[in-house]
Amino acid sequence: MTDAVATREGLRVVGQPVVRHDARDKVAAATAYAADWALPGMLYAAVLRSPYPAARIVRLDTAKAAAMAGVAVVLTAKDVPRNTLSTDVPGQTTAVGPLRATLHVLAEGRVRHQGEPVALVAAETLELAHAAVETIEIEYEPTAGVFSPEAALAPGAPAVHGPGNLLAQWRIARGDVTTALRDAAVVVEGEYTTQMVDAAYLEPESGVAWIDSDGVITIRLSTQVIEHFRDVAEVLQVPQNRVRVIGTYLGGGFGGKEDVTVEAYLGLLALKTGRPVKMVWTRHESLLSRAKRHPYRLRYRTGANARGEIVAQQIELLGDAGAYAYLSALVLLYSTVTAAGPYRVPAVEVDARVAYTNNPPTSAMRGFGAMQTVFAYESQLDRVARALGVDPVMIRRVNALRRGDTLPVGQVIETHVALPELAERAWSALGPPTQPRAAHVRVGRGLSCNFQPYGRIVWLHDWASAWLGFEMDGSLVVRCGCPDVGGGQASSLCQIAAEVLGVSLARISVHVSDSALTPLAGTTTASRQLYMSGNAVLKTARELRAQLLGVAGALLGADADALDMEDDQVVTTDGRTLAIPRLLAECARAGVARSHLGVYHAPAGEPVDLAKGSGKVFPDYTFGAHAAEVEVDTETGVVRVLRFAAAHDVGRAINPQSVEGQIQGGAVQGLGYGLMEEVVLDRGINLTTSFATYLIPTAADVPDVRAVVVESGEGLGPFNARGIGEPPIGPPAAAIANAIEHATGVRITRLPITAERVARGLGLLD
Amino acid sequence: MAPETLDDALGLLRRHGDEAKVLAGGQSLIPILHYRLARPRVVIDINALPLADIALDDGRIGIGALVRYHQLEESEALAGRCPVLGEAARLIGNVRVRTLGTVGGSLVHGDPAAELPAVMTALDARIAVASASGRRAVAAREFFTGPLTTALAPDEIVTGIEVAALPAHGAAVEELSRRAGDFAIVAVVALVSLDRRGHVEEARVAFGGVADRPVHARAAEDALRGREPSAETLARAAHAARDALAPPSDAFVSGAYRRHVAGVLCRRALTRAVERARR
Amino acid sequence: MIARLVLNGRPREVDVRPNETLLELLRDTLGVFDAKEGCDEGVCGVCTVLLDRRPVSACLVLAAGVRGRAVLTLRGLERDGGLHPLQEAFVKHGAVQCGFCTPGMLLTTLAFLERQPRPDREAIRAALEGNLCRCTGYTKIVDAVEAYVRGHD
Repeated sequence: MTDAVATREGLRVVGQPVVRHDARDKVAAATAYAADWALPGMLYAAVLRSPYPAARIVRLDTAKAAAMAGVAVVLTAKDVPRNTLSTDVPGQTTAVGPLRATLHVLAEGRVRHQGEPVALVAAETLELAHAAVETIEIEYEPTAGVFSPEAALAPGAPAVHGPGNLLAQWRIARGDVTTALRDAAVVVEGEYTTQMVDAAYLEPESGVAWIDSDGVITIRLSTQVIEHFRDVAEVLQVPQNRVRVIGTYLGGGFGGKEDVTVEAYLGLLALKTGRPVKMVWTRHESLLSRAKRHPYRLRYRTGANARGEIVAQQIELLGDAGAYAYLSALVLLYSTVTAAGPYRVPAVEVDARVAYTNNPPTSAMRGFGAMQTVFAYESQLDRVARALGVDPVMIRRVNALRRGDTLPVGQVIETHVALPELAERAWSALGPPTQPRAAHVRVGRGLSCNFQPYGRIVWLHDWASAWLGFEMDGSLVVRCGCPDVGGGQASSLCQIAAEVLGVSLARISVHVSDSALTPLAGTTTASRQLYMSGNAVLKTARELRAQLLGVAGALLGADADALDMEDDQVVTTDGRTLAIPRLLAECARAGVARSHLGVYHAPAGEPVDLAKGSGKVFPDYTFGAHAAEVEVDTETGVVRVLRFAAAHDVGRAINPQSVEGQIQGGAVQGLGYGLMEEVVLDRGINLTTSFATYLIPTAADVPDVRAVVVESGEGLGPFNARGIGEPPIGPPAAAIANAIEHATGVRITRLPITAERVARGLGLLD
Repeated sequence: MAPETLDDALGLLRRHGDEAKVLAGGQSLIPILHYRLARPRVVIDINALPLADIALDDGRIGIGALVRYHQLEESEALAGRCPVLGEAARLIGNVRVRTLGTVGGSLVHGDPAAELPAVMTALDARIAVASASGRRAVAAREFFTGPLTTALAPDEIVTGIEVAALPAHGAAVEELSRRAGDFAIVAVVALVSLDRRGHVEEARVAFGGVADRPVHARAAEDALRGREPSAETLARAAHAARDALAPPSDAFVSGAYRRHVAGVLCRRALTRAVERARR
Repeated sequence: MIARLVLNGRPREVDVRPNETLLELLRDTLGVFDAKEGCDEGVCGVCTVLLDRRPVSACLVLAAGVRGRAVLTLRGLERDGGLHPLQEAFVKHGAVQCGFCTPGMLLTTLAFLERQPRPDREAIRAALEGNLCRCTGYTKIVDAVEAYVRGHD
């Protein structure tokens, strides 16, 4: 097997901005999203949710609702065969014990957050389902709740689950922080507050379930994880091979569709009624109660010497896990590992905790804990630079990690770190400075760098599989369990297959995301899918190619190693060709398979004791730098982003247009986080349950994002690619905060950076 | 129910009263129905009524209740005679709201942060109201009585607005919102006309978003009348307007911020209005 | 109640319920899924359709209210079984990621260009401010519209 395909010069399809097959379908309205599905006899489902953030259920009577004409079934906790969705989260510190992140499908006796599901209805029409929900007789007795991690950890606080409310704690200690800070030329102390935000995908949680002719409970839904078929099977207490999840092309995921959302309800209702059931959450429901991003309080003491080198970081993180654990312990782990930023820091202390509250549960969201820390460490670095009179690009160059350096957690950086180059290119991509357009306007620029892990934690032993097979006419089928969240996941697999097997893209069809029919490839999360599914397809394609070229070599009287596959044929070094269908006919005659199932195993490692700083946590990281130019209206505090550039080292861009799109989209989502998004809670009551109050950026709120794509050629993914799904969301908030300080001298340490916060910082309201 | 004449509509309204809701553009009513915040037994769809005219004669401006926001934006006649209407309409909601939303609907909804109630207050418009018992006109400055509350009785419909002849003037709308295209945190509407000496002959100023209803900024108008509109005078007038306000705080924006911004935007609106009046 | 309308150029006769929205009529009764459901209150734009050539939120229009009028959804753009050049531009310039906002973006753009055929990038952004997108960050959508405008000069 030749590695010639891996060299940059030899690439024909990979590296091209090919048109994605799903883009064509989507513009023609040919893509059936999860809610674009109707079956004969289909019922409509609705959920009864708690209006209280903390309460006991004292009375629950569904008889009247169940008796309504057109209502098929009303379910509560007692009707669920196994009412527990639990996630065992490995690797917890012994300080809080092993983690069982128990979650009920339907509330049992008490509710812990506003919007917690209590009952399910299926009826002939959606209107009837909602009417039935309102007819359910329920009485709550509100109980005392806690609504901030500080309050939750105070002695005597009401217990959300068990006493104490501490869900997880991670610590890193490396070097002598106290001495280093004492001897530092400058110490900057800062407290930063990041807010709770919502994934706010435009497609709400949706799905349809039915029981097929084989008795298999089939759930067709918008999800980032088809492996939840196992969780549904456990809930329903049916064998795991009797549940099938078909993942549709998502209308956005961003981590919000990583946990179980509608599938358990749909499976339950389909099983109980024997009929197809549809569930589509309203925007209100989704904003109210779907798991959100962890808000953090981040306290930093950063010490540097006179040359601008960071000598110490003392960091304390406190996050809000909301009412249920979900993935909080892992999110906290990501924060802990990335807390000191992509920089060399000889002495580091990190003390990270996350606590239960009666706020909406928090879980996975693009960035996964490595995003919140960027706001703190980049604001701190900027302040250090300012204190020493060093410019923002220089201070990053001085401190950036290099190959061979060690992270605070003990992991050695094994790849090239393009940070200084990324910072310079992002900065210069802003172009010449914009002159203030009026006397009351100031213009400033800010820089922000980050690093985001891609690929799952190494002791989780990640793997992905793929199946590739030729049809007799030479067309190719790719099957891979990889859900497509809209980032071109499926399309990239076709590109990789096309590159290795020389099949034109028009002759490749791809099937993804079906737990019964496509080989499992794991979650579309953690920026892992290109790395894992991409490598699975690459490996499988190479193995299939070797299989086929063995037969081709015999046919052509040539050495298999000297053959290439391109333009839908096999070619020899002396220009003879063999059409693929001819080759396949020969394979059939010789009993050689035309297809192959391959598995890619990510290099694995053993669990690391963070406190001892002993080793590798993530396979690799993607580094980035963003630069912002902003305009501040010094009379109103209104901030406008004038220019924005975002640079990332993606290893290799499989599809450069898709890569730019990820960078631009992630950057704008990051700008939303920086400037306007916030889930506003008042003692656990959500005040932002509408797109009129939960604000995400519109086309008029953001400028063009100049995406700068750097390809270092070093990455663990196919053709040395790195993950790019999450990295671009991290830097923007700090870039904006740094730009505002440059423009006005005002340092904003709380997100989102609203006009009012800037106005207060400017002293306008004194 | 979709009556074709005004009298039919008024008859239906008289008959069904509290159990009926009137449907025009639907941009406010349909979400209310959808979220079951109101459950009227009867919906009276008035879109077929002949109330969609923009009439300009003798200097008077008459705008039918069913005139859509986009018509205000696109009317060349209005652009010549009273450009503030188009300027305000352009700021309302999004393009889809502007296709269907109506002038009457905005006034009846009475959102204290909305642009048109503030514009009508500034213009000192008269709002034409009809019921089965007869017709009346209510001054815009008295029409809005509280948050989402107006002087309209349950059996009445707004049929249009009328603005008496305006002197030659310059006008401006200034708005601050959390995001482009959102409802306003604070909005200011200002019209200024100058006499032959270039002094302020007349000023009309109103705010939206600073109270439970649009606010007519009398203090600002008094501070301008007869004076030369220097930067200092305009600033003083804006401060006078601001000082008369005590905006409420909510979970998103504080009253202190609204008050400060009201002063800034008022000064800016007056400045632009004066510039335009001078042309 | 029977209502007659023209849907994507073809006359249709449908039975509408009094409270039914145009979005429900399209999706639940007629099986036309081009217009999506995103927020139920006309803010997000994924339910955008053209009513007599102007964009409206189908979730905020009563089905009964479109009697006698022309409704255009995305598949109404089809030309001889092929894509409209604006659809081609979106595909070519990477303006489609998850695609949920795409039908609304396309229809809003076409209606806008009828009134303002030669907008600059800023005007394009202002025209699309009522259509939310969570995936692309808007830059490539503006690129696609700009390319389409240039191609039509």
